[in-house]
Amino acid sequence: MLPDLTTATVDDRVAYLNQRYKHHAAQAVLERALSDEAVGRIALVSSFGAESVVLLHMISLYDRATPVLFIDTQMLFEETMAYQADVAQQLGLTDVRTIRARPEAVAAHDPEGLLHKTDTDACCNLRKTEPLERALSNFDAWITGRKRFQGQTRAALDFFENEGDFRIKVNPLAHWTPEDVQDYMINNRLPRHPLIAKGYPSIGCAPCTSPVKPGEDPRAGRWRNQEKEECGIHFINGKVVRGPLPVEVEIEEEKPMNVIVTDQGFVNDDWAHGFIAAADLETSAADAPAVAIDLASDADPTILAGRLDGVDLIRVDFPSFSDGRGFTLARRLRLMGFNGRLRARGHVIADQYTMVRRSGFDEVEIAPELAKRQPWEQWQARAAWQSHDYQNRLRGAV
Amino acid sequence: MYKYNDFDEAFVRERVAQFSGQVARRIDGSLSEDEFRPLRLMNGLYLQLHAYMLRVAVPYGTLNSRQMRQFAHIADTYDKGYGHFTTRQNIQFNWPKLRDVPAILSDLADVEMHAIQTSGNTIRNVTSDHFAGAAADEIEDPRPYAELIRQWSTDHPEFQFLPRKFKVAITGAPNDRAVVKAHDIGLRIVRNDAGQVGFEVIVGGGLGRTPMVGKVIRDFLPKEDLLPYLEAIVSVYNLLGRRDNKYKARIKITVHENGIETVRDLVEAEFIQRRELFNGADQALLAEIEPAFAQPDYITADSQGFDDFYKADPVFRSWVDTNLTEHRQPGYAIVTISLKAHGATPGDATSEQMRVMADLAQEFGHDELRVSHEQNIVLPHVHKAHLPAIHARLAAVGLATANVGLVSDIIACPGMDYCALATARSIPIAQQIAERFDELKLEHEVGPLKLKISGCINACGHHHVGHIGILGLDRAGVENYQITLGGDATENAAIGERAGPGFSADAIVPAIERLVLAYLELREGPQETFIDAYRRLGAEPFKAALYPDEAGGRKHAA
Ligand code: SF4
Ligand code: SF4
Repeated sequence: MLPDLTTATVDDRVAYLNQRYKHHAAQAVLERALSDEAVGRIALVSSFGAESVVLLHMISLYDRATPVLFIDTQMLFEETMAYQADVAQQLGLTDVRTIRARPEAVAAHDPEGLLHKTDTDACCNLRKTEPLERALSNFDAWITGRKRFQGQTRAALDFFENEGDFRIKVNPLAHWTPEDVQDYMINNRLPRHPLIAKGYPSIGCAPCTSPVKPGEDPRAGRWRNQEKEECGIHFINGKVVRGPLPVEVEIEEEKPMNVIVTDQGFVNDDWAHGFIAAADLETSAADAPAVAIDLASDADPTILAGRLDGVDLIRVDFPSFSDGRGFTLARRLRLMGFNGRLRARGHVIADQYTMVRRSGFDEVEIAPELAKRQPWEQWQARAAWQSHDYQNRLRGAV
Repeated sequence: MYKYNDFDEAFVRERVAQFSGQVARRIDGSLSEDEFRPLRLMNGLYLQLHAYMLRVAVPYGTLNSRQMRQFAHIADTYDKGYGHFTTRQNIQFNWPKLRDVPAILSDLADVEMHAIQTSGNTIRNVTSDHFAGAAADEIEDPRPYAELIRQWSTDHPEFQFLPRKFKVAITGAPNDRAVVKAHDIGLRIVRNDAGQVGFEVIVGGGLGRTPMVGKVIRDFLPKEDLLPYLEAIVSVYNLLGRRDNKYKARIKITVHENGIETVRDLVEAEFIQRRELFNGADQALLAEIEPAFAQPDYITADSQGFDDFYKADPVFRSWVDTNLTEHRQPGYAIVTISLKAHGATPGDATSEQMRVMADLAQEFGHDELRVSHEQNIVLPHVHKAHLPAIHARLAAVGLATANVGLVSDIIACPGMDYCALATARSIPIAQQIAERFDELKLEHEVGPLKLKISGCINACGHHHVGHIGILGLDRAGVENYQITLGGDATENAAIGERAGPGFSADAIVPAIERLVLAYLELREGPQETFIDAYRRLGAEPFKAALYPDEAGGRKHAA
């Protein structure tokens, strides 16, 4: 039952909201949160990082005028600034508010922008925590992208949380897995942060973020060589009184970046245009600058017949390394005249690299876990795929 | 015989190195057990009931004395002094240690042999007629094509992870000795009306738990289209074959579920595309392979000694009558050495026996041996003048059993004694039946009779195509043997029919005896074989012999 909002505590409201929406899906929770009286004035805090676009997209569907708070630490990458502008424009968001530290505070504490070198906590406090706290003081609730799978302390994460008895935190994606996020982005063809393709699976401020090597923990690039793992006052005894830094919150949701195996070695994925399902090729924008298709292992490749011209990349799924359909799919696509990039993705093991290449694939996309277990040397041992090949002899290719 | 060229040699060596690396990577954790399993299977290494089992390919069943001696060496060095020849013309070693396997593979490479693709969900060792190149009824020697298929299928990048194993057999003679209709792909060399030689292509045959006789997908395939056509079939199967249920994954089920017409349409469409990939290099390679299978330099010799000995020695005579097959060259014979001594394990040979067979091949047999799918060893080219000497030396090591094609020449799978999947013993049953008929001294009178035993429904003993088939099952913890009748593995392929309720381990041998004695009663004369009599009379009189009480009971009641 709706509590009396004039007297209800944050606890009462949170309990009511959780009860009411416990069986709703992420989108429904978000949609209701935007209008439910028990929530009150609400804003989305977004870093415009790699996965932020999911919530931004949902907001744009339900209420494009929802305030979006973007924290500009003034230490961000140029790419993030550009991406922020692009996404806001593309999604038609009408109330994006850029939050910055007060100029006087910066002048007093970090005039040369070098504080991060000596005291990252102080720097984060100055550039993120304090400005955000100020911006949120006008709101009753804010939306985050936190999810249950992200850790033990979040295993019981609810859609609605009491933040210090003065604000509600809304976590619409609480039940999502990393795959859900990826699927959502793929299915809705959402633009990806340009730095992902350059090896930055976790994107923060420029001085404190470095690219991650394929197979490395995606967060390894943050505050490299420092003890620091979280920003500022992120966790206090597991209780968050002032809220974890939202910029960090979103970044935490990054799916570990897959590794691309080529004849030359492991590289980062340079494909930044997303993938669409083969069946959606029909409906995809004809003027899309670059088209990449995901082909399931049980797909019939003939659905692509006659439409391969505008396709730049096809990614064939290997749900298990013992499922060899992908090899024949690759050969068929080549026989159909596909000359673009052909990628095997999923559970492909080093021992299969020769087969992959000989079947017509250009490269393999594997999970970081596999890249770690089977490092490049093991793939390299199979990289001389042109030699010792009976097929070459039988087909006169030698 | 085919000789490895530099390419083959380097390939096999590389493969040995790769497998050594895989063993090491399994040990250091780079490969999970799930990932390692298919890799070891691809290299012939199984995990059996007691230990690892290494299955070595004898491509299309042809080998020379040096290779046979190497088997003896491996048996002595890494195993318990013997090896087991299988129904797929392979040899299995039942007791190798994992750490020795790379060394064994390396020893094999020394004699141009390997264990590649003898197991796993891939195209297996191609089998062929064990009398190829010697039989009088042959249109063409199938082995050059078999070797071409071996090269094509070896490490074929598309076909290492098929839905299920894939077996190809090829024969060049109208009398099918390679059971081609019970293979995923069977190839028969045929001559069309225009007099051209090509292939009849059969798909979807197989035994196992759902036995099926293969269906003709193409009645005449020009020779030069062989590889693209095979590639079309296997690629269609790779995408269409079921992967959700292991027992429905073989191509015989794919053909059964989709219909041969649908499969044919898909294959023919794919074939047109695949043909583009071949530009004649395969035919050039075939032309290089062919001379390796040229007829040997036959000798002429006086066979008076043979004739005299034949008249004088009844044991020799019986062996000659039973174990020899007509050769295309006058004065020559094809000798089948029985690995079915009464009471021995069918298909087993000791290292000493292997060496004797190797010596005989080298001295008298143009250095050639064959492994037959009936688990015997063949000396394909022997001048009759040498037969007395050969017989004597075989007899000295227990290899002169005169029972080829008779009731005691039993095909039996390893069964419960070695196989992890078995539901019953098969070898001991084979031994008891052989011994029983030896006691009765009847088997020569009974004449040609194919008896085949499997230790579970996977049917490795081919019981479905035995004139008499025995299938060992487990009924509530007790071995139970079911009999099938009327199967045929030749060009007239047929799946045997179940005769009725099964028999216990104690009752199965007497049941077989009743069955065979009934045949002797029922036949029109010695010229009417068991299978002919069965076809003339149907199953009833044989069932009556198997279940006398029941028949009597029914009569009584009526
Ligand atoms: S991420 Fe680095 S630069 Fe940015 S506010 Fe935190 S410490 Fe300072
Ligand atoms: S038939 Fe059964 S028992 Fe016999 S070898 Fe095959 S799987 Fe094993």
